[in-house]
Amino acid sequence: MLLAQAITQMAPPQCLRCLRNSLQLVEHRSLIQPPTRAAFSTTSLLSAKAAQPRKTAGTSNKSKTLRLSKNIRQTAGKPPARGERKAVRKRIVLSNTNALEVDGLQDLTADKLARHSEGTVALQTFTGQVLGFSDETVDALRALESFKPTQAWSLFRRPASLVRKETAALANDMADTETDTSKVARKMVFGEKGSGKSVLLLQAHAMAFVKDWIVVHFPEGQDLTIAHSAYEPLRTPNGRIYVQPQYTAKLLLSIANANQALLSSLQLSRDHQLPFSVQSNMSLFRFAELGGRDPTIAWPIWQALWAELLTPATKAVQRPPVLVTMDGADQVMRVSAYLDPEAKPVHAHDLALVRDFANLLSGRTQLPNGGMVLAATCASNRAASPTLDYCLSRTYIKQEKASNAWHLLPLRGPSWDPYQLKDARVESAVMNVSALKLQGLSKDEARGVLEYYAKSGVLMNAVTDGFVSEKWSLAGHGVIGELEKGTVRMRF
Amino acid sequence: MEPHLLCTGFRRAVVCNYNPAKRRILFHSRRGYATPTETSSGSQDPVRAAAPIRFSSNANQFAVNRAEFVDDAENSVGSRPGQSSRIPLLERIRILPASPSYFTGTPRFTDDFLALRALERKYQLLPTLPLAEAPRVAWKTLEQYRTELGEPVRLKRYSSLLTLLKKLNSIHPSLFPVEVERALARYKRVVQPHLNQPKPVVVDELGRARAVGRRKACHAEVYLVEGEGQCLINGKTLTEYFGRLHDRESAMWPLKATARLDKYNVWSTVRGGGTTGQAEAITLGLAKALLVHEPALKPALRKAGCVTRDIREKERKKPGRIKARKMPTWVKR
Repeated sequence: MLLAQAITQMAPPQCLRCLRNSLQLVEHRSLIQPPTRAAFSTTSLLSAKAAQPRKTAGTSNKSKTLRLSKNIRQTAGKPPARGERKAVRKRIVLSNTNALEVDGLQDLTADKLARHSEGTVALQTFTGQVLGFSDETVDALRALESFKPTQAWSLFRRPASLVRKETAALANDMADTETDTSKVARKMVFGEKGSGKSVLLLQAHAMAFVKDWIVVHFPEGQDLTIAHSAYEPLRTPNGRIYVQPQYTAKLLLSIANANQALLSSLQLSRDHQLPFSVQSNMSLFRFAELGGRDPTIAWPIWQALWAELLTPATKAVQRPPVLVTMDGADQVMRVSAYLDPEAKPVHAHDLALVRDFANLLSGRTQLPNGGMVLAATCASNRAASPTLDYCLSRTYIKQEKASNAWHLLPLRGPSWDPYQLKDARVESAVMNVSALKLQGLSKDEARGVLEYYAKSGVLMNAVTDGFVSEKWSLAGHGVIGELEKGTVRMRF
Repeated sequence: MEPHLLCTGFRRAVVCNYNPAKRRILFHSRRGYATPTETSSGSQDPVRAAAPIRFSSNANQFAVNRAEFVDDAENSVGSRPGQSSRIPLLERIRILPASPSYFTGTPRFTDDFLALRALERKYQLLPTLPLAEAPRVAWKTLEQYRTELGEPVRLKRYSSLLTLLKKLNSIHPSLFPVEVERALARYKRVVQPHLNQPKPVVVDELGRARAVGRRKACHAEVYLVEGEGQCLINGKTLTEYFGRLHDRESAMWPLKATARLDKYNVWSTVRGGGTTGQAEAITLGLAKALLVHEPALKPALRKAGCVTRDIREKERKKPGRIKARKMPTWVKR
């Protein structure tokens, strides 16, 4: 009796049916303006007023220690405001006015990506040189969140990157798919920490932007799976999947902003079954932006947008190739941190966005207008995904044996532990994806990047053969991140 | 008469059989360096040392003149029973010590010293090597020498003896006298560590030089081949194995200090200890392997501090302490 009373007294002020609506309101608002209260709290803000510390009559507030000048702690102004430190930590600075302007630094332009008559792209001749990015490209890359705070963009006058062998190979693949749309390169980029995986994705973004491709980039696989954004179940004929409305909206907005010029020139080609009415000749930019502004309709718009992008191009309807990339893709090749109604962990491939990406990566979803799908693993925040590791190394060894470099490899490929369960969904997603292993730079490439450092005035040493090979050796056969750490970041 | 003669003859025979060589050396050495060689005055007989006393079960042994025991050639050849009475009285009754250094307090040491001095003087004209190039010998320690002699030899004296020994040892090996060699053998330790020469390391048929380096609790095995500056440690690259730039630099330091980083490839296995120790164990192994390829780099490598093994190891923990030295926090009660 007493217990029942207590329960009725403890009942929340809002009914549970209204809870979902209120949550949606909170989440919607949180996307547009900074949150003022925790999203999960349904109580009013007034009740959260902190209790004033009570003063007892007998005790005085004065400290009992001797007040000397050395005892008084010096405070330098106010402590940083909430979120300020994180903002500083995550800030991306792309320019350093103290760095020297590099003479003769060329930009990555469309003519460098065009094919020569002999079949190779012009970028091949720029291997080992540093190319800058034009302002429009930088804006697009910023919108895509391609730049990362851990990269050393803030040391140089303007963003520029080294053209390495793999970059030229990617440019070649891009040229291939433009001539023959059935040749879609699907690659998984992996390699040790600091080997330039994220920057290779960035270069792919820049090249695709210059070539007027549509670029879709998932900046961090981890954001999709660590259960930091809201999710809701969705029934499909293939079972239950989970939609992340807020994340989808954010992604749509970044796609719209990054590809603004291109998407503005494209229009909806057909009617989509949407829970709301849209103008039939709406530009894809407006369409994507619409979804980006409203998380409640983000998911249907995402689906419709992809349906548009995957429509084969005709004379009436122009559809460019699409580049889809994901950084930190090892995080989505495992069980996510979300829970289903039975409180069982949700597999990452049950998340709608991840499923879409996995379909593109594995080739289950074809890109009829050509394009490229790239996924990069993360070596510093590595997720335990044994199936992915196994598949990657197996594919890599197979490729290398086919390319006649077998003598550099271990005689036997990886073996699967028979007592461990293989993740069939991950295996099917990654099985037919080619593996692109990023290793150290060659000495010529290392020389190119060191010369760029020296020309920018951040490296004071003379770039000689001995200096280059010394740094190359100490950077573990020219791992570019270590090369940078050893030459530019390190100050004695 | 007859029994007396027989008795004396018998005793002579016994005396002749008794270790004549030793006696002769004693006699010669006495003649050689301790006593004046020429008897200046013909009136007085030369002073001779008494023979060492040998005790036997014969109750009559002290009834005979001690001088008869002296193994003297002239004395023993034409000896007659009446002859003993012709030996001067003084010589018959005075007991002299066997060594002329008897009264120095450390007679055996003094004898040794004088013997070596005599040898040095005898061979002083032979060509010598510089002391640094003389064959290395481990001489007996002062303690060992003292125990052997049973005399309280002082350190300073022993040092001067050692100086003599070293001087004798530096005689050119091609002309080294057998006599000196025999004399020096007494002062050498039984085990000569300098004779243990390490096997010369060579570059094998595949062009590899192998060397082992150790530091703290780490053991590194380094193979060095000519190449273009690659390095694999336990199958990993330098950056994969050592996260710290300092460790990478200290591992490759012998090559960097001699500007050979782009000339060789390093393949190494390392075990035990922590990262710093492993890096420095590789340093030592790498330096040794580099010396196999280029022995002339030794001064440069020594200057870079890569040649000497750092023998410091972790100090053991002691009972009653928290670590090797750290004491527990003082508590009032």
